[in-house]
Amino acid sequence: MALLSDLLGHAVLSGSVLALGALGEVIAERAGVLDLGVEGLMSLGAVVAVMTVTATPHPWLGLLAAGLVGGVGAGVLALSSVVLRANQVLCGVAITFLGLGLSSVIGRSVAGIPVSAVFEPVSIPVLSSIPVIGPAFFSQNVLVYLIYLVLPGLVHFWMFRTRSGLDLRAVGENPAAADAVGVPVMKLRALAVILGGVLAGLAGADLTLAVVPVWSDGMIAGRGWIAVALVIFAGYRPAVAVLSGLLFGLVTAVGFMGQARGWPVAPAILNTLPYLGTVACIIVPMLAFAKLRSAMAAPAALGTPYYRSGR
Amino acid sequence: MSAVSHRTRLTVVPSYRIAVGRGLSILAALNIVAITLTAMGRSPVELAGLIVRSTVGSRFGIEDLALFMTPLMLTGAAVWVGIRVNLWNIGAEGQLYAGATAATAIGLFTNWPTLVALPSMIVAGMLAGAAWIFVPAAARAWLGVSEIVTSLLLNFVASLLVYYLATGPWADRVTGALASTERLHTAFPELWGAVHLGFILALATVIGLGIGLAKSRFGYETAVCGSNPQAAHYAGIGVAPRILAVLLLSGALAGLAGVFEVAGTVHRLQGGLANNYGYLGIVVALLARGSCLALIPAALLMALILDTGIVLQTTQISSSAVLAITGLLVLAIAAGDELAAYVRVNRT
Repeated sequence: MALLSDLLGHAVLSGSVLALGALGEVIAERAGVLDLGVEGLMSLGAVVAVMTVTATPHPWLGLLAAGLVGGVGAGVLALSSVVLRANQVLCGVAITFLGLGLSSVIGRSVAGIPVSAVFEPVSIPVLSSIPVIGPAFFSQNVLVYLIYLVLPGLVHFWMFRTRSGLDLRAVGENPAAADAVGVPVMKLRALAVILGGVLAGLAGADLTLAVVPVWSDGMIAGRGWIAVALVIFAGYRPAVAVLSGLLFGLVTAVGFMGQARGWPVAPAILNTLPYLGTVACIIVPMLAFAKLRSAMAAPAALGTPYYRSGR
Repeated sequence: MSAVSHRTRLTVVPSYRIAVGRGLSILAALNIVAITLTAMGRSPVELAGLIVRSTVGSRFGIEDLALFMTPLMLTGAAVWVGIRVNLWNIGAEGQLYAGATAATAIGLFTNWPTLVALPSMIVAGMLAGAAWIFVPAAARAWLGVSEIVTSLLLNFVASLLVYYLATGPWADRVTGALASTERLHTAFPELWGAVHLGFILALATVIGLGIGLAKSRFGYETAVCGSNPQAAHYAGIGVAPRILAVLLLSGALAGLAGVFEVAGTVHRLQGGLANNYGYLGIVVALLARGSCLALIPAALLMALILDTGIVLQTTQISSSAVLAITGLLVLAIAAGDELAAYVRVNRT
């Protein structure tokens, strides 16, 4: 029982990073922008959070700084891929290079030093005493509650129940039609990319301030790319994206458990699990259920820049 | 009506506009780098001098350039054949590892004569590279699953597996070298200093590929599939098998890069062997735009940047700075290429 509880607890914790990154990516992709900069922005967020709490021991300040950096980085991406309409794949990959390189350069002074101020677990009374589930779900840090309970609800409500959410989706499906009824396409897309970047930065901070409390070069290790993949897996739905983050947290946790308990499999092999699992999970459903293909389809204008003269 | 000044976007951009746009973007990116260096208390002019002296200004620098160019031309070609038909193989890094692993298997566990071993390494490496992209390619061709993410995720798997092999079952137990296999029994012959036959073969591959795709039926049909899949379908060209074929070709080219890297340059399989060549291939392909032959100067430019990274490392600037500089360059060039497409026209 303790094992299962540990496994779930670890899954919830490590899945929160993926969930947050995926949530940000859902927002950007729903607006029609394929944002491949997540990995780099997460990395920047992670290192800036560590640097901030090293200077001032307040994890919330670290979180704030990481969000800001993510937003600024995504601002560059928005400027190039939305305002200037340069190729979205290239701009995203470029931001990832830039973010990974920059975070490694600025993070040298804090690399390998344990983070002093982290988000401590907060037990919710009553709920945390439920066997198995209690410790796993209700004795986590405050970010976990925000990521799994508050944010997906907010984003879902905004995206599907408000006017601006409808506009956002319209811009991703048919920007020309949205433009014709007066929706500011470029502005909404840019804002969506920046908001996605803020969440990616926060996801990085979540990693270093709550999950693995130390900065080391290359520690993002593809989490940003997994987040991008999860969005496809979740059919571009915010709540589903967060849940699939949890699912992939579980895959990661299984590998982690295997290492901790000394399973007769090399750690490197166990570490391939999250990546292989992600690939399998975005291919297998498409193979098994042909009907899913239309229900889970990407926003129609995803990846295509919008030119008004091209109407 | 009065004449209004208006900007319009060209669909086909003349190459001189691209050249000007690129020149300006590279200049802008270098300026940002120079300003950052100055802010860090370094003299950009002094560093630039050092970089020029130790890259193109010395025999070792030039050898290094050729060694860097060898994998870059091939990973560049791998990404380029994809982009040509609107497919994005971001997984060249993983395919390079797969190719290198296959070549290592032959180099470690056989004692075939060089004339047999080298060609079989090439064939095995290309097959391994193609095999590594097979699942993402088939999923893209028949299920419409984006190849971008699936090909990329397999990079992490490949790099972990190579690390596992190099430190585990294939680890060198003779000299006790950490985290690598023992030296391969066969190597591509060195032609000029450390520059080996792989460089010439990579050059030939890129030239052959350019001519082949421009002149062959396969090249034409895939180009049609890329620019308009529906038109291709009506013309009786099966789109899905061609998507698969192009991506397999792409994987094979990246695998070949791995063969040359392990059997020509590094001589041992080790973690980190791919050295980001797969990702940098995207940059090389972007720089080359529509022309396959342009991959060669593009790879040269990228090799210069990598060589610069080594120089920077000797001056206590982290080698990761190169990754950031590369990102900045890609961003600037992507934006510059787009801006170059706009011309001012006067309408009445």
